[in-house]
Amino acid sequence: MRRFGRGGRLRHFRLQWVLAVAAIAAAVALPVVLISVGGGVSAHELANLENAGYQIVVSAGGSHGISGAHSLAHEIESVGSVTVACPILSVAIDAYNSTASTASMTPVLAEGVIPEEFTPTLGPTESPLFPSPLPLGDPTDSVHYANGSYSGPASYDVLVSTPLAGGYGIHVGQSIVLSPSTNKSLGVAYNVTGLFGVPPSILGPTGAFAVLLPLSDLQVLTGYGPRASASVFDAADTIEVAVTGSVSVNPTALAHVRDEVQALVPLYSVSSLTQEAAQLQAASGVLTGFYLALSSVGLSVGLIFLALVLLRRVETDRRSIAIRRALGLPGRSIAFGILGEGAAIAAAGALAGTLAGYVVVESLARWATSTVQETASLAVFDPTTLAAIALGVVALSALAGAAAVRAALRVPVTEALR
Amino acid sequence: MDATRPPRIEMLGVSRTYGVGTADEVRALREVSLTIVPGESVSVAGPSGCGKTTLLNLLGLLDSPTSGDVQWDGRPVGTLSDRERSHLRLTGVGFIFQRFYLLPTLTALENVELPMRPLRTPRAERLRRASGLLAEVGLDGRERAFPHQLSGGEEQRVAVARALANRPGVLLADEPTGELDSGNTRAILDLLVKVRRDRDATLVLVTHNPEVAARASRHLTMRDGAIVQDVREA
Repeated sequence: MRRFGRGGRLRHFRLQWVLAVAAIAAAVALPVVLISVGGGVSAHELANLENAGYQIVVSAGGSHGISGAHSLAHEIESVGSVTVACPILSVAIDAYNSTASTASMTPVLAEGVIPEEFTPTLGPTESPLFPSPLPLGDPTDSVHYANGSYSGPASYDVLVSTPLAGGYGIHVGQSIVLSPSTNKSLGVAYNVTGLFGVPPSILGPTGAFAVLLPLSDLQVLTGYGPRASASVFDAADTIEVAVTGSVSVNPTALAHVRDEVQALVPLYSVSSLTQEAAQLQAASGVLTGFYLALSSVGLSVGLIFLALVLLRRVETDRRSIAIRRALGLPGRSIAFGILGEGAAIAAAGALAGTLAGYVVVESLARWATSTVQETASLAVFDPTTLAAIALGVVALSALAGAAAVRAALRVPVTEALR
Repeated sequence: MDATRPPRIEMLGVSRTYGVGTADEVRALREVSLTIVPGESVSVAGPSGCGKTTLLNLLGLLDSPTSGDVQWDGRPVGTLSDRERSHLRLTGVGFIFQRFYLLPTLTALENVELPMRPLRTPRAERLRRASGLLAEVGLDGRERAFPHQLSGGEEQRVAVARALANRPGVLLADEPTGELDSGNTRAILDLLVKVRRDRDATLVLVTHNPEVAARASRHLTMRDGAIVQDVREA
């Protein structure tokens, strides 16, 4: 049923309505995308922290800043409630496929670990990705290390990530040349004794090209081990510390253990993953605020447009407003009518914007380039947050409607009815 | 009509000037004093621009006098807040306009029901009363029609039903038949006389039409913003 005598006026109203809804939808879609993706990435990182097999991290400023990693790990293990401490050295090196007819080089991330210390620091999601025990020769890495002399026989064993093995055509039992630089002649041939999987990462495929080898082997290969050639002796980037189960779930006890470890290594930073999680959550909160601030620009434009639409409606509805006033309808009922219309437009815009944001994120998760796709697939659509955004927009529509209400209540009744 | 009854509406030396202090200053009403008692039917006639509509707007609290005082049931309305004036208009006055002024987006039933909404009358009761009023003005079965689907006479009938929605004591009609043909004019006048009589309401009719004015028992004639003649029928 046609509700207006003049179809042109009705179409005009509909167009204004649709444009206002579209403006608000565009303004709402942006924070929906940013907050859901940002929140999803944060949640993913938090889950990684919570699923880690270690609870305390010792780190130093700069790269490879921890000295005496082997002995330090043993010292830390002497602290009560600590079950294992594993030093980890992470260095970017080059890998050559020695069996290929033409030697092709691939940059890879090499991680040096003490095999038997490393496995307990793996979380429930990572643990199945690695062979157990790690087939890296001496499980304690003490033979080659030989109390810092590095005079013992090296294992020359290496584990290769499945993406690297797949991309490079490497199989267990073959050898691979690892070199600290692009000069292959500086490289050392290692036996591929196993493969390991890579957990889902938002870093893309490059981060999945990795090798794992004994700490002392990597230290010697890269020069971050023996005293004579290194600025730091027996280097590592971090020492991951696992504690007993009862302590890991007790923040107070965990803080106590962290303090004890800190006392052993006063020059290094010691933090618990609980702290890191809290810092990540705080950072996530700051980012959310930033996203909302960024979105407020678009939202302001949308609400200004809404205010103009409502003012225009008052202008065109002057006579209807005057009739209502003449009949004795109170100002508040006219105000509620205008604010209600503003709220309806805002609610429709918020709903459309939320749906648009969802569609954008889902589209990115399906069809975008790999890194963006991976990131978008982590998005979390938190109903509470989305409802808060929608309610906020609807509440702000009252602000946008204030000018229109003021104008409506100032319509001169007798003049408008002439 | 019993002129000894206490006045329903009283105007005491009321003047209304538009554009005070400007070059376009217009004195629409000049020190008018008028007493209207309950149940009275009054016609207001006079040439265009003589102040008839201004008088009606002041009686119906749509406008405020520049000087003088308007009283309703002995109560001065000049001191009332906008909200109180709205409430008095809502409950005490039924307006009927020359151009009907129905809301185009509402059905006939919704137009009649509209003034009942602010009084928090239950919806079922509102709809029942609105249907009854439409039946009373001869529009049974036209409840769901929009104004553009009604004839001029039907629109004015809806406007009369709307004016009666909150059972007001005063009906103010500004040229109620000005846009109607003679057949509809007679029908609307019959209706107004009937509802005034049935409800013992006060009726004030502004009109150019002698046939319309003849339906009232008291006849005011205005000229240049003043009442120049006030005749009560015996």
